Amino acid sequence: MGENKSGLALSMNHVSKRYPGTLAVDGVDFEVCSGEVHALIGENGAGKSTLMKMIAGSFSDYTGEICINGKEVRLSSPSIAKENGIEMIYQELSLALSLSIAENVLVGNLPTKGIFVDRKAMVERTRDRLKRVGLEHLDPLMPVKDISQHEAQLVEIAKALGNNPCILVMDEPTSALSREEVERLFKIIDSLKKQGLAIIYISHHLPEIFRVADRVTVMRDGKRVGTYEIEEVNAGKLVELMVGRSVSEFYSSRSTHLGEEMLRAEHLSRYGFFHDVSFNVRAGEILGLYGLAGAGRSELGRSICGADPIDEGEIHLKGQKLAHKNMGQALEAGVAYLTENRKTQGLALRLTVGENALAALIPKHTKNFFYSGKDDKPVLDRLISDLQIYPPDPSRTVGNLSGGNQQKVLLSKWLSISPKVLILDEPTRGVDIGAKMIIHQAIEKLAGQGNAVILISSDLPELVAMSDRVVIMRKGHLIGEMNKGEFNEETVLLAANGEGGFVNVN
Amino acid sequence: MSTENMSTKLDRRSSKHAKWNLWLNKFGVYFMVILFIAFGTLISDKFLTVSNFMNIIQAVAMLGIVAVGVSFITYSGHFADMSVPVIMAFSGIIAVGAVKYGIVISILLGIAAGLSIGLVNAFVIGKLRANPIIWTLAVAFVMNGFIRWAYSGNQIYPDVESKGNVAGQIFVNLSRMNVFGSLPLMVLVMFIVVIIGQILLTKTKFGLQLKLIGSNYEAAKMTGVNVSRTVGLAFILSSVTTSIGGIFLTSLAKVGAYYNGIGYDFNAVTAIVLGGMTLAGGRGNAIGVLGGVFTLGLLSNIMTLIGVDTFSQAIVKGIIFIIVVGINAKSLRKLGRDDA
Amino acid sequence: MLNIIRSKNISKWIDNNRIYLIFIVVFLLATAFAPNFFNLFNLTNILRGASLGMMVAIGFTIVMICGHMDLSVASTLNLGAILVIGMQPRFGWTVSLIAAVLAGGIVGIINGLLVAKAKIHSFIVTLGTMTIVQGIIYMYSHGSSINVTDFALADWIDKAVIPLLPPRVLITVIAVALFEVFLTRTPYGKGFYMVGGNKETAWLAGFNTDRYLINAFTISALMAALGGALFSISISSAVPNMGEKGVSPLMIVLAATIIGGTSMAGGKGSIVKSAVAVIALGTLFNGLNCFGTGYEVQIFASGLVLAIVVLYEAFALYKQDRLRGQRPELLKELEDGRFKKI
Repeated sequence: MGENKSGLALSMNHVSKRYPGTLAVDGVDFEVCSGEVHALIGENGAGKSTLMKMIAGSFSDYTGEICINGKEVRLSSPSIAKENGIEMIYQELSLALSLSIAENVLVGNLPTKGIFVDRKAMVERTRDRLKRVGLEHLDPLMPVKDISQHEAQLVEIAKALGNNPCILVMDEPTSALSREEVERLFKIIDSLKKQGLAIIYISHHLPEIFRVADRVTVMRDGKRVGTYEIEEVNAGKLVELMVGRSVSEFYSSRSTHLGEEMLRAEHLSRYGFFHDVSFNVRAGEILGLYGLAGAGRSELGRSICGADPIDEGEIHLKGQKLAHKNMGQALEAGVAYLTENRKTQGLALRLTVGENALAALIPKHTKNFFYSGKDDKPVLDRLISDLQIYPPDPSRTVGNLSGGNQQKVLLSKWLSISPKVLILDEPTRGVDIGAKMIIHQAIEKLAGQGNAVILISSDLPELVAMSDRVVIMRKGHLIGEMNKGEFNEETVLLAANGEGGFVNVN
Repeated sequence: MSTENMSTKLDRRSSKHAKWNLWLNKFGVYFMVILFIAFGTLISDKFLTVSNFMNIIQAVAMLGIVAVGVSFITYSGHFADMSVPVIMAFSGIIAVGAVKYGIVISILLGIAAGLSIGLVNAFVIGKLRANPIIWTLAVAFVMNGFIRWAYSGNQIYPDVESKGNVAGQIFVNLSRMNVFGSLPLMVLVMFIVVIIGQILLTKTKFGLQLKLIGSNYEAAKMTGVNVSRTVGLAFILSSVTTSIGGIFLTSLAKVGAYYNGIGYDFNAVTAIVLGGMTLAGGRGNAIGVLGGVFTLGLLSNIMTLIGVDTFSQAIVKGIIFIIVVGINAKSLRKLGRDDA
Repeated sequence: MLNIIRSKNISKWIDNNRIYLIFIVVFLLATAFAPNFFNLFNLTNILRGASLGMMVAIGFTIVMICGHMDLSVASTLNLGAILVIGMQPRFGWTVSLIAAVLAGGIVGIINGLLVAKAKIHSFIVTLGTMTIVQGIIYMYSHGSSINVTDFALADWIDKAVIPLLPPRVLITVIAVALFEVFLTRTPYGKGFYMVGGNKETAWLAGFNTDRYLINAFTISALMAALGGALFSISISSAVPNMGEKGVSPLMIVLAATIIGGTSMAGGKGSIVKSAVAVIALGTLFNGLNCFGTGYEVQIFASGLVLAIVVLYEAFALYKQDRLRGQRPELLKELEDGRFKKI
């Protein structure tokens, strides 16, 4: 029990929100006290984000009662929410890229002198706020598009803190941050708590929740499952509450039959992104590729699959030199890459499940100029049932599916052509546990069929459990590899931070 | 009754609703066509006759030919081709100039002239990713100036006077001749273009990948689609049908001039969008575009029959255009496919 | 390393100020080579010619900063032009000028409502209203040009009372300056950039984004109507179809706005730069005219300038895209030639 819990900052009584066709939030009670960090967890589609949007004033048509500091309010627009001291930090960045940091941070209340904007005060105030999140080195007048993604994430936090909120909502605030930055953020949260702020913290990372939260509320299918003091629960219990069943063994060990060498990279370089990278992966193997943010993992993946150029070095596929000029040729040879940006680069959200899942098959199903759709249905049915895509209707618009199901559709796009080498970049980011298990099974099945998988993942438990071997990248170089039995979460993380010892590949 | 049961029911109903909405979005323009035909029949007894219908179709045939080509560009999410008027003018002028080498050479050179502009557009927009509207606008400026300069602002006429020059007469007759009895050549070409366009869009790798590009350019790229080539091809195809339209227009006007084709850029967009394509791309088809073209033709025919002057016609057209697109955007938004 | 930073800053500076550089180059070339270019009479003429475009560019740029497009200015300026001339004989200049501008404002409000509330693509909305307004103009004028009886105002409004700045030019320049200050120096004005830069964020930050869009389209239409009205006053007559067979003012303004560095994606742009771009194009036209070249060469040249700017932008973006995310320490390795020897 936190001693600072002076009173209820926010209480929601039996609130509901209906989208066309679904009841996203269904009669939920939720409360948070001043000086408390209240974590909100649940699988994707459980209704967390909808509940938070409700608090942020995104909906004018919710039902139920919301009280702030004991007074009933109707949060029907973002400005009303702001007037009531509510600030939100979004999972997806909400900064205007072409504008300066200062204009973003102070959006909505630029300092004025008479009727004009007071530039000097604007810069000074921004600098103060940046200092709070450790970004004092940034020039407030720099456009946001010139700073890195994790800096942008911190700018976002600075922006929310600047308005001196009494209720702060954080939706997956750590997804783009490095380890040190996450630690700094937690320190900020601790001090905000002491100042008496009410914080609502949403995250998929259970360890983070145990680090910062005082209480935790679990949601499932739009309903509240329960609220607990953090001391009375453990990770296993929370997972069980989230998925609604007991998950005794999350990662099953699998037997692997390693075959011939499938893909070998020799001294690959893309100047300025990664230099002199060599590794190999065998048939039936899942090769983990780990590195901190910005280590060049995704860039390596993109270059191998032909999305980006290679400046030096060679790739050999089954002993044959792979001389692809673009992604189409790499695909034809059997090398595919699943992007980490599901919404911007992965799926055509306005198209249907079927159109997305079969997108990669178009060249293969084209004979004599014409596309033949006669094989579409069996392939599609198989993919939908294998990956348990819900709803199992190929004519649904992908954009209306939950995050987990969208990710399954994205994966099915590549499973449809069963590539010899599949590079997976964060295949389960932001995905709920149920979908995660299904995706893992599908990956193992693909490897079991004698294909090679390269798994890029920041989710250490996943990486450690799935991989047969792990290679580590750091600052654009591949610095070493570890075999099964040699690595665990700690050693991998140490290595990626440049602290462990290695056998050099070369 | 459990909530779960209720929500599945709701789900199913909204799915049915969604399919209906989608269908409406695809072919709804033909409702409008039927509505107009019914209206026209009630209004005037001169309306529902074979000759009047032939008039209507013939009047919009050139627009149809152009619009189907431009619709490839819209479908790929690249809005429209503002160089349509100059492509039409240029192909017409070159065709007129080449009449002396025979009609076949004349037509081929005319198309090649338009194609050459299309190739430049294809490279700059497909490969270099220049903004399509602005780039094609720049091309329109440059070519407009060039054509005026090259012909000193003069119009050029096909030689129909001198004896033995059959080609000149055939050229002028292209837009006036009938095939298979009483089917105007222009109309035949329009239907061929629509059919080819429909097949390309719905039955080939090109069309399917174009849809992917129109829906999400980056995702298409990361699915291994050769985006530069596919987008480029859309601009090339557009320039070809536009050239064909330009040659017909020049033949009809009996004169090649820089101003031939003015207004066809916006008219084509009007027809395309009426036909159910959205500017966001990846939606609609060639048959819908034909419906859009028919709608425009019927509208002006009916208004002319009831004696609305051309000025008021423009007003009515503009209002109907906005209303139809507004309804379409709204129905898509209901589906959660907000892409207006 | 310092060199790299410096050259980056220089290229950024050039990028930000390219329109001024273009203008200076065009101006110097014309001064140096074009006969009868550099004299007060001719320079005043350039500014007179650019007034209409500058006035239209004000609102057009604001709409573009919001991430939208206003094609209807092509008709709205004709509406202003035809109304002020048509009403003058009965109502006098003051009333007819106010009425003409307000009529334009109505078009703008309709545009704004359709874009913001009905959520129809601005390209489509303004294409529709462009057609409608053009139809209204033809109906009003019966398709022919109309004249006024009172020529006194026309004589005054384009007379160089102050050197270089006849009243019409002066009004235009003041309008450009006022709107520039409004847009870049007041919190409300800065909101236009926010709305165009990221509409969602602006909305979440409590901006009334719908109101902003409606205002942008209204300003655009008001300024277009005002520009058209002043133009027709200066020639004491109005035609219903200004620039229909040639290059319309819309195309000039669109080209100038792009050359001036306003982004079609929204969130970036400057009214002053658009206005300078209009003058630069006018100077180009005029300079070429001094050689006795025809209109066609002027169109050709302005198209060429636009094409080069578009190509340059596309190429810069292409390059920037390829280099985004490069690690400086790796580039340093490359310079040292170190990593190859591993």
